[in-house]
Amino acid sequence: MNPPERLLDRLPEWTRSIRFRYTLLYSAVLFGLAAVVLAAIYLVLLMALRATPVSSGRALFCPHGECITVITFREAERLVNAETLGKLRYYSLGALGVLFVSSLGVGWVVAGRVLAPIGRITAVARDIQATDLSRRIQLPGPEDELKQLADTFDAMLARLDAAFAAQRQFVADASHELRNPLAIIRTNVDVALADPDASTDDLRQTIAVVKRAGDRMSLLVDDLLALARRQQPTLEHEPVDLGAAVAEASDDFMVPAETRDIVLDRAIAPGVVVTGDREALKRVVANLLDNAVRLAPAGSRIRLATGSEGNRAWIAVADEGPGISPEDQAHVFDRFWRADKARARADGGTGLGLAIVRQLVESHGGEVRMHSKVGVGSSFVVWLPITRPAIDGGQR
Amino acid sequence: MRVLVVEDEADLADAVARGLRREGYAVDVAYDGDEALEKAAVNAYDLVCLDLNLPGIDGIEVVRRIRADGGAQPPRVLMLTARDRTVDRVVGLDEGADDYLVKPFDFDELKARVRALLRRDAGRSGALLQVGDIELDSARHEARRVGRPLALTPKEFALLHYFLSRAGQVLSQEDLLEHVWDENADPFTNTVRVTVMTLRRKLADAGKGQPIETVVGRGYRLREEP
Repeated sequence: MNPPERLLDRLPEWTRSIRFRYTLLYSAVLFGLAAVVLAAIYLVLLMALRATPVSSGRALFCPHGECITVITFREAERLVNAETLGKLRYYSLGALGVLFVSSLGVGWVVAGRVLAPIGRITAVARDIQATDLSRRIQLPGPEDELKQLADTFDAMLARLDAAFAAQRQFVADASHELRNPLAIIRTNVDVALADPDASTDDLRQTIAVVKRAGDRMSLLVDDLLALARRQQPTLEHEPVDLGAAVAEASDDFMVPAETRDIVLDRAIAPGVVVTGDREALKRVVANLLDNAVRLAPAGSRIRLATGSEGNRAWIAVADEGPGISPEDQAHVFDRFWRADKARARADGGTGLGLAIVRQLVESHGGEVRMHSKVGVGSSFVVWLPITRPAIDGGQR
Repeated sequence: MRVLVVEDEADLADAVARGLRREGYAVDVAYDGDEALEKAAVNAYDLVCLDLNLPGIDGIEVVRRIRADGGAQPPRVLMLTARDRTVDRVVGLDEGADDYLVKPFDFDELKARVRALLRRDAGRSGALLQVGDIELDSARHEARRVGRPLALTPKEFALLHYFLSRAGQVLSQEDLLEHVWDENADPFTNTVRVTVMTLRRKLADAGKGQPIETVVGRGYRLREEP
């Protein structure tokens, strides 16, 4: 657009580097300083030594026909001074010239040394593809600014690597979970179709199996979508009456609990308001209750309670189910983890319920804790921050 | 030929077993690794269809133990896996599996791979099995003697298949019960004797002479030379 920019564009590549600019700056500053110092010395000397060159001789003395100029001692002193100053000027300019050239060279080398790690960082960063994040810069040398930069970069790479690995693992797990019902559908249909004399009962049975597998897949797809959607910040931020939301979510479980002869006790404290996504919080309660109702033995009791403590609200679900062994407790919130694979698949769990719970709770700035004892039961407690206490008894 | 299907998804295991039974194999089913090892220790299987991802003892461990305890002729192992990463298959093959199939699979492909694996023991490379004037096409499910088709029941077909793949060997009633019938067969009935009898009659009707001879006190043998 404007001429200077076009001029910059026309310059060769290497003149646009930091190294070049640093060299120019270094050399210009050094040259300027040296010039100022030399000029100052020169001027001071010039003032101190009155140096006027000898003008034409005032007295001519011709003893033997040859004339020599006669000058006074003072005049001779001035003459010497003038010559000294002239020499000083000459050598100073020479020294300045040499200094300028050598400062360019030294500046170029020093800038190269200082900037070398950046070159290395750039080269590694350029080499790294999104699919191979295993490389690190690992800059050697002292703990200086560039080393800190490289280390920060390495730490970022490690986090990215872990995130990508988790993503790959998730995709592998999800495809694995989807392949099993697909295999069931395909094999059953293949086997049924290959039998020319299949009876209506046989076919009916095959259809029932296919329906079961289809139901399982749609549950799984729902959960996978829920999980993927929650990874994006699309959650609402609005005041939610926790008691009302929990009551609403638990209403859906009264009938399933009753049919399994399970008592669902509710102790819901009114007036606790948290900030968040109402639907997401209902899903948290629903997933916890779903697990409890599915796994608790008939005739047992499930307790659901909410309340607040200080500036935190809590939701607790306790069952009298089989419990979870201490070594398994660490995996409870992992995706696709099941306490008993064979049983959980048969009764319709996707293995994603608690992973979703944890993700939703953490996206609300809360945490979920589990306490379990084999043969006694499990309890889950969700803690959520309260942003503002309710004043009017939670009626909003 | 006797096959063990190991798969924790009951709906899948039962369908595979049903389909393979219709092909004339004697099929048992195990729903987890422990059950698979128990059955493999008791019965002499010719082939194991094994899901790698099992509750309890996992598939890789099952392959390893079946290989280790399989005796002189351990069963062929066909892995079924829902994981399509190469590393999972490599581990399975390295531990002694003979082939693999990624879920979901085409049932025709499963049948073809089962046939191919069972052929390896007989040291042949085609689906066609021929001894003397008897021919058996395991892919098409056809058997002929002197070019004349034999109308065999699935059990008779499976029995003939086993005789042909062990031509010249003396096979006891227990051998036949082990490899041609599944675990639901009652070992105290004379089902083996009866089936051998009907098979021999059908073979005799189709050509000259009786290819299956009785070795007194030991069992039966298919003569290699007519």
